[in-house]
Amino acid sequence: MTVAAPTSGRVTNRGRLLLAAWSMLFAMLAQAEPGTAASLAEQRAKAVTQVVLGILSYARWPVEPGQLRLCLVGPTEYADDLVKGTTQHSGRPVLVRRLLADDPRISNECDAVYLGQLSADERSRLFSAINGHPVLSISEANDPCTVGSVFCLRVSDRQVAFDVNLDSVARSGVRIHPSVLQLSRRRATQP
Amino acid sequence: MIGLFRKRQRPTLRAVLGRRHLSVALLAVGLAGISLTVLGVLALRVYANHNLHLIARSINYTVEAAVVFNDSSAANEALALIAATEEVADAKVFDADNALLARWQRSEDGLLVQLEQQVARSLLQEPVILPVMHQGQQVGRTELVGQGGSLMRFLLSGLAGILLCTVLSAVGALYLSRRMFGDIVGPLRSLATVAHAARRERSFEQRVPATKIAELNELGNDFNALLDELENWQNHLQSENESLAHQASHDSLTGLPNRAFFEGRLSRTLRNASKHQEHLALLFLDSDNFKDINDSHGHAAGDEVLVSVATRVRAQLRENDLVARLGGDEFAVLLAPLNSRDDALRIAEKIIASMRLPIRLAEGQSVVTSLSVGIAYYPDDGLSPADLLNAADAAMYQAKRNTRGQWQTAETERSALHVKNRS
Repeated sequence: MTVAAPTSGRVTNRGRLLLAAWSMLFAMLAQAEPGTAASLAEQRAKAVTQVVLGILSYARWPVEPGQLRLCLVGPTEYADDLVKGTTQHSGRPVLVRRLLADDPRISNECDAVYLGQLSADERSRLFSAINGHPVLSISEANDPCTVGSVFCLRVSDRQVAFDVNLDSVARSGVRIHPSVLQLSRRRATQP
Repeated sequence: MIGLFRKRQRPTLRAVLGRRHLSVALLAVGLAGISLTVLGVLALRVYANHNLHLIARSINYTVEAAVVFNDSSAANEALALIAATEEVADAKVFDADNALLARWQRSEDGLLVQLEQQVARSLLQEPVILPVMHQGQQVGRTELVGQGGSLMRFLLSGLAGILLCTVLSAVGALYLSRRMFGDIVGPLRSLATVAHAARRERSFEQRVPATKIAELNELGNDFNALLDELENWQNHLQSENESLAHQASHDSLTGLPNRAFFEGRLSRTLRNASKHQEHLALLFLDSDNFKDINDSHGHAAGDEVLVSVATRVRAQLRENDLVARLGGDEFAVLLAPLNSRDDALRIAEKIIASMRLPIRLAEGQSVVTSLSVGIAYYPDDGLSPADLLNAADAAMYQAKRNTRGQWQTAETERSALHVKNRS
């Protein structure tokens, strides 16, 4: 199993060793000084992982994949925990890999994409690429959630909230359980 | 003995009936009410537990997403939405790490609420713990404590129902026992009235009326039959007594009063006469040739002659006069009241004259008889019955000696004196 430590900074596409070193360092830091930025970031990462896995568990694809392929695109802030790979409650493994925004495999080999910081250009290219494919998109960065992504995370210290773009839900062809939609709407009305 | 019985007063039929009815009704209502309530509580308990489970399950469904996303406020909201409208006292949602995610508690407080909780705690299976499942995996759990509101209401209404039914059945039992009392005691009372009348006043003509209740009706019928017999018996006795009395005071051949009756009447009449200063006459009659008739025509003819003589003498008398057969061929007549001595003479003449017609016997022959009449006056010829009878008897013999078929007034010393004084 790959080991990915939560980080507070941006994780770029570097070597695993470096990642491991970082993670160990921060893990030690977190143990030594609980409540620091590092442990907070860890908590956030955990919360993000939970929300993302929750969303994935409430999503239904036209053809259920045997293993869920989650692709991380662009530089992400809270996806370190996800990268480690996991299994869903149902026992289905979640396969996580990082891809570049322009990677043509995204539309065919990803069931869900987790979008980090992307330029507007990259975003529009990506969404036109996945258009017509059953791909669930979750964007991490501050996204008004008006165009493009199905889910947009709102990460704060207290909790991780999310918005839903119902147009995107309809376009993607992936069905989302109503209770998630309800949860998102309720959150949207929350200050 | 009587005092002892008085002290231990016997209960009346009404009291006994009322008490029995009441106890039966109370027993029935109590048993039915209690068993129904117990069964109801048991059934309701099952349903309440089931209901609690259902509530827990629906809470689970509602908070599932919130638990999955670890969203405390959404969970609280969902929890409140359901729990507030259901009979839930306390509801908690825990996440997978056993941390409290959401909680809802009924805020009402008061005696009734505490009582309800007490009932719920003792009767319901608490708390209900149900796992929150997501994709076949437990992601949290729900803990639910029910509120015994409906159980409490049921118990209270059951109690109220029992009380109401008790009161109603008590009233009903009393009413029914009163009716039954009427049904039973009415006939008994009429029976008692009739029996009392029969015992006290010897009035056997009353009868017990028919009643609805078979046994009492039968009793009444039997009693009536008994009364019939008694009445017959009484009538028989009465007529027997009357005939015996008649026989004792009357002559069986002529049907005239006998000597005893005549003497009794004579002494009563004399007493009255002395009180009211009245006069009266005593006639002594004797057949002149009765012995010859007997000898020549037989005793049957003699009897016929006696009957004819009696009838003819009776026909000559006034309404209040009395004729009696003293024995053999002797008759006596009491003329009272008497206005003058001539009245007595006139009657004596008429009697003697009535004998002149021959008496036709059954065998076809006819005989003629005559009477000798002795007359004694009161108070001239005697004051006591015996004196008067003797005077009349003597006068009759005097008449027989002179000429048969004649009358003779008494010639006693008293009357001689009287006559002397008068002349």
